[in-house]
Amino acid sequence: MTHSSSAPLASLARIGKTYGDGDTEVVALADADLSINPGEILLIEGPSGSGKTTLISILGLLLKPSRGSVFVGGRDVTALPERALPKIRAETFGFVFQGFNLFPALTALENVALAIRMKGGRHPEHEARRLLAAVGLETRMHHLPANLSGGQKQRVAIARALGGNPPIILGDEPTAALDTKTALGVMDLLRTLATEQGRAVVVVTHDPRLERFADRVARVEDGRVIAIDTLAHAA
Amino acid sequence: MWNLARKILLHDRIKFAVAAAGVSISVMLVLVQIGLYLGFMQNASNLIDHSHADVWVMGEGNENFDFAGPIDERAYYKVASTPGVARAERMILAFGQYRLADGGQQGVQVVGLEPGGRLLTPWHVVAGDPARIHEPGKIAVDTSEFGKLKIDAIGARREISGARAEVVALTKGIRSFTTSPFVFTNLDSARAYTNFPADKLTYVLVQAEPGVDPAALARDLDALPHLDAYTTPQLSIRARHYWSSRTGVGAGFFTTAALGIIVGLVVVGQILYNGTLEHLREYGTLKAMGARNSAIVRVILYQAIISAVVGFVFGGGLAVLSRLAMTKANLTVLLTPNLVAVTAVLTLVMCCAASMLSVIKVLRLDPASVFKG
Repeated sequence: MTHSSSAPLASLARIGKTYGDGDTEVVALADADLSINPGEILLIEGPSGSGKTTLISILGLLLKPSRGSVFVGGRDVTALPERALPKIRAETFGFVFQGFNLFPALTALENVALAIRMKGGRHPEHEARRLLAAVGLETRMHHLPANLSGGQKQRVAIARALGGNPPIILGDEPTAALDTKTALGVMDLLRTLATEQGRAVVVVTHDPRLERFADRVARVEDGRVIAIDTLAHAA
Repeated sequence: MWNLARKILLHDRIKFAVAAAGVSISVMLVLVQIGLYLGFMQNASNLIDHSHADVWVMGEGNENFDFAGPIDERAYYKVASTPGVARAERMILAFGQYRLADGGQQGVQVVGLEPGGRLLTPWHVVAGDPARIHEPGKIAVDTSEFGKLKIDAIGARREISGARAEVVALTKGIRSFTTSPFVFTNLDSARAYTNFPADKLTYVLVQAEPGVDPAALARDLDALPHLDAYTTPQLSIRARHYWSSRTGVGAGFFTTAALGIIVGLVVVGQILYNGTLEHLREYGTLKAMGARNSAIVRVILYQAIISAVVGFVFGGGLAVLSRLAMTKANLTVLLTPNLVAVTAVLTLVMCCAASMLSVIKVLRLDPASVFKG
């Protein structure tokens, strides 16, 4: 299912992250290597506190690593100043969260359009309509989040993440708040985005049911990526 | 973006109503307090501003226009004979006791004017003939003082300091700063009403000859022994400044206005900050996805501006209603275009300043925090 022959969209090389120093030093991540390929779904699994969130935060350029290098589109962005990162994030990453993080006062259309506008995108309303239609919400565009189901809210969040056409979607437990049927529906949508549009989807999860949609699973424990398994159905 | 900011702000209507009420009260306090102050200051220099004199001459060292000491009548002749003086008129300004119909007393501020004088005459005359005040025992009073004087029409006859006084003309809107009603009359009657000595007066009003600079003439007249002279604008400022700064009146009004601004700042700041805290995860998500800080700050500033506009409109309306109510209580609230414009700008600045805590919070917001549960 992956476009594995293409160059990685992003990669982490020997990434380490420590918080505090001396007696209070905590190693959140050590020597982590990871590459993100176009068209694949990569799950990051591991117990709570294992370093999953740190890993995805560094990958999404939201957190600076203590050691190692972060590459985006083949370019080493590790040492770039903070002010240079929002533009790279806007062009490269879309984010989806467990809690949806939608403005309750804005309709689905306005939530998506706002994100596109704030990224500096053109024709935000038109683009938002197209993206909401693409995630199957053409009839719910003018509904407030309170009037949408959990699955619909997550589809709005996915449409918002697609604003600006980023090649990588990062999901932090995007199905954790959803029932099984809805969760599988959301993953099906992400699978379609990966397969048909060549986007990479990286999902942090505890949920083994999602593995059927994934190409690879990175297993994280005690701050180390202990294994990266290519799943049989993806091989 | 305006529309989005408005929707985010109006989503919780009760909170928005509280914010708008805070701004409205603040705007009303500023407009009414400063308007009252301007009204009082207008009254403080009422006689001066409505005179046609170029220069006012008075006894040396007088600080307060309303309580100026008497000067000798010979000063009038010295002034009148000074080169550059086209016309000089005597004026008495002193207090008398007006006897009410029920036997009580009311202090009045008697304005004695030169017979045939042109440099100061009653203005805003709404009834009667103001020229008749130059007849013995005739006076002009203001309709707004009917309540204090306990009269209700022209022709009323009373006594002032034991001398007869008949109302022969009525004005509208002439009030004194001292709150004692003005009584316009002739010089002789004024002396009778105030027990002023026959050879004394309070002011000499001067009209400069054509081509003579009033400021230069004032300097010449000021050089006369035991006399001070000021141009009309100078004396107007002096009269206002005395009441404003020497009595604490100005500080009182401006302190209340400043408290109004502080109330507005705190209420709006609190509401906007709470709103920002409630949406921190959403703002964090936008920042994570590459939204520029300036774009998010704009949404917050737009909310502050919307609060300011709504609060200003309602606060302005409340101020107009207050003015109507205060007019009935004989108080002047001067809502000048300048005051309204300055208050509008002040309201905008206040609301934008109130949003600074929210702006700082968003600028410091770590986008990685959205991953932290």
